[in-house]
Amino acid sequence: MQHTRIPEQLPVMEKLKILSDAAKYDVACTSSGTARGNNGKGIGNCFDAGICHSFAADGRCISLLKILLTNECIFNCRYCLNRSSNDVPRATFTPDEICDLVIGFYRRNYIEGLFLSSGILNSPDYTMELLYQTLYKLRSQYHFGGYIHVKAIPGADPFLIEKTGFLADRMSVNLELPTAEGLRRLAPAKSREKILKPMRQVQNRMEENREELALYRSAPRFVPAGQSTQMIIGATPENDFQIMSVAESLYKKFDLKRVFYSAFVRVNDDSALPALPGGPPLLREHRLYQADWLLRFYGFEAGELLSEDRPNFNILFDPKCDWALRHLELFPVEINRASYQTLLRVPGIGVKSAQRIVKARRLGSLDFQDLKRMGVVLKRALYFITCRGRTLYPIKIEEDYITRNLLYVKEKLPPELRDDVTYRQLSLFDDGMPLSVEEQSVLLDVSAGSAAAFAGGGAI
Amino acid sequence: MTTVFVCEDSLDGILTGVYEAWDSRLGHGNVKLQTEGMDTMELFCEYQTVRTDLEKAEKVLRTVKRRMGEKAREAVCYASACPDSGKADAIYRLIVLGLSLPDGRQAVNRLQDPAVLLVEKLRYKAWHEAERMLGFLRFEELAGGVLYARMNPPYAILPLIAPHFADRLLQENWIIQDTGRNQAAVHRAGGSWFLTDADLPDLRKIAGYAETEKEFQTLWRAFCKSIAIEERRNPRCQQTLLPLRFRPDMTEFQPDSGQPGAFWQDSRFDSLRKS
Repeated sequence: MQHTRIPEQLPVMEKLKILSDAAKYDVACTSSGTARGNNGKGIGNCFDAGICHSFAADGRCISLLKILLTNECIFNCRYCLNRSSNDVPRATFTPDEICDLVIGFYRRNYIEGLFLSSGILNSPDYTMELLYQTLYKLRSQYHFGGYIHVKAIPGADPFLIEKTGFLADRMSVNLELPTAEGLRRLAPAKSREKILKPMRQVQNRMEENREELALYRSAPRFVPAGQSTQMIIGATPENDFQIMSVAESLYKKFDLKRVFYSAFVRVNDDSALPALPGGPPLLREHRLYQADWLLRFYGFEAGELLSEDRPNFNILFDPKCDWALRHLELFPVEINRASYQTLLRVPGIGVKSAQRIVKARRLGSLDFQDLKRMGVVLKRALYFITCRGRTLYPIKIEEDYITRNLLYVKEKLPPELRDDVTYRQLSLFDDGMPLSVEEQSVLLDVSAGSAAAFAGGGAI
Repeated sequence: MTTVFVCEDSLDGILTGVYEAWDSRLGHGNVKLQTEGMDTMELFCEYQTVRTDLEKAEKVLRTVKRRMGEKAREAVCYASACPDSGKADAIYRLIVLGLSLPDGRQAVNRLQDPAVLLVEKLRYKAWHEAERMLGFLRFEELAGGVLYARMNPPYAILPLIAPHFADRLLQENWIIQDTGRNQAAVHRAGGSWFLTDADLPDLRKIAGYAETEKEFQTLWRAFCKSIAIEERRNPRCQQTLLPLRFRPDMTEFQPDSGQPGAFWQDSRFDSLRKS
C-alpha cells in the first residue's frame, strides 16, 4: 500500500471525522422495522416506523451513527474513496470507542442507533470478527437496546455472519453495481456470486428464525428488521429497465426489505469512470425510488413500467403518471366503485388516500370536494377519475390533451428542466428558431423598406 | 338559543366539556364547545364555564375507548393538543356521532363529516409534530448526570412524547421542559415520569454542564458536518424536513464555541433565513 501510516493513537474526534466522511456514501439510514421495548437493564428501545433525528445539509436524514469500523481496505474498487491505491488518511476505531460514542450520542437523543460498515482490514474474516465484537460489547456489556444496522462482509465465514445477525436489527450486503458485468469492470476483486452468497444465507436464516419464533416466542431473533442492499446508479451503462428488473428479483427472490439506489458521485479520477459534468444523476435516482415504491406498495411490476423498447424513465413524468398515460383505455375509473388496487393506480392517489377513500365510501358516496379534503392531488387525478359518474370538468380522455395539461401543472422538476422542456406559446420573435434564407430576406426587405418610409416621412 | 360551554384548553378540560354539554340535556344542536382564550364572543348565546373535573374526563375517555375503539381515543387525545379554535366542538361532534352509530368504530372513518375530518386532520398534525420531536429533542447532560432537554413547540405534545423517553431512557434521570407552556416532564431513574406545571428556570445556568458534555456536543457537530455529501448539497430540502423553528434548541445548529441559543446570530445560516 502506498499511503503513509497514521499513528494508531488518533484522537476520537479525528477518527470520527475520517470514518463518518468515509461512510457517507452508504445510502441507508433507516431505523424502521423493529418494535422493541426497553430490556429493563440498559438503555434504548426501537420505534417501529423509525425516527429521523436530524437532516444533513444535503437533505438526507440522519437517524443512525453512520461510521466505518475502518477505512483501511485491501480491495481496489475503482469507484470507492477508500480503495487501497488512494492516498487518504486512514483510521480504525476500537470496539470500545464505538460503544462510548453510541451510548453518549444515544443518551442525548442524537441518534436512533448504530450503522456499522467497514473497509476490509487484513481479510473478510478478520473484519467480520471485529464487527461482531463491537456489537457483542454493545449489546451485552452496555445492554444497548437501540437499533443496529450492520454490513455482512462478502467472503466472511458464514458462522460469523450468523452470530452477528443475532445481535443486529438489520443486515445488508451491498450489491455495489446492478450487473455482474459492471462489477467485473469496476470492482474486479468482487463477484456477483460472492455478494449473493451471504444475502442468501441471511434470507434462509431469517426464514428458519420465523419458525423458531412460532415455536418459542422468546427464541433469539435473527435480523428482525430484515435485510437491505444498495447499488450505484450511473457509474456503469445499465439502463433503468435493467436496474428495476434487478431490484424486482431481489425483492421477490431474496425477500429484501429495501433496495437503495445511490446516484454515482465521482470521487476518484479514474479512466474507467464516467465524467459527470452535471453532477450526480439525482433525477434518475429520484425516478428509480418512485418506481421502487410502485413495486413495493402499489402492486406494479417492473415489466409494466418499462420494457426493452422503452428502457428508461420519462424525465417529465413520474413513472405512475407515465404508465397511466400509456394505458388510457383503463380510465376514467369511478371512485365510488373501483377496487382498492385500481385506485392505487390512479395518478394523484397514494396509499393513504386510497385507504381513506375505501373506508369513507362505505358510509356514503364521495364527491370531488371530499376527495380534495382527503388529500387526493386533484390537479393530477382529475383526468383519470369520475365521481358519481361525472368528471370534474368536461375533459377529453386523450393522451395529447392530458399530457399538455399535466405539464402545465408543472411537477417539481429540477431547474435545468423547468425552463426549456415545457411547452411554450409560439412567438413571432422567437430567436431560438432559425429562419430560412428567404424568410430572412423578406424580413430584411420589410424592415429596410419601412425604415426608408419612416425616414421619408420624417423628411416630409 | 345556543349554549356555549367554555372549557379549559387541555384534554381533560375538553372531555369535561363534552360530559357537561351532554349532561345538560339541551340537545346536541343547541350546544357548542369552545376552549378558553377565544376572545370573540357571539351574540344570542349563553356562555357557561366548565370546571375541569378529572373524574368526568376519565369517564368520557373510557367510553370513547370502549364504544369507538383505540383509534378514536388516540384521535381525541392528539387533536386536543393542537392550537385550533374548532377542536373542542369537533371532538364533541365526533363523540356524538360515534355513540349514535351501531358500530362506533366506524365514526373515525367517516371523513365526509366536517367534524370528523377536522379531528382527523388535527390528530395527524399533532402526531406529526410529536413524531418529529421524538427525533429532534436534544438532551444535555448537567452536572450530576441529569439529562435536560428544552423545547418550545406550538402543540402541547409533552405528555404525548414523555412515555417514549420514559421507556427509552429508563435508567436515567431526565427532565423535558416545554418552555412556552411552563410545563415539565420529570423522570426518575428506574421509575415513572410525571408532569409538573412548575415555573422552571433554565437549569443549565443553575447546575452547569457535566464534564464530558461539551466534548460530545463537538463530536456530534463534527459528525453532522462530515456526513453530508457536498455534491448533493440541498439546503432547501433540509429546511423542508427540518424547519428553522426546531433549530434553536438543537445541538448541531449551535456554533462550536457559542452560548446556547446562539443560532440566530450564526452567519452560517444567513442564506437560510433569507429564503
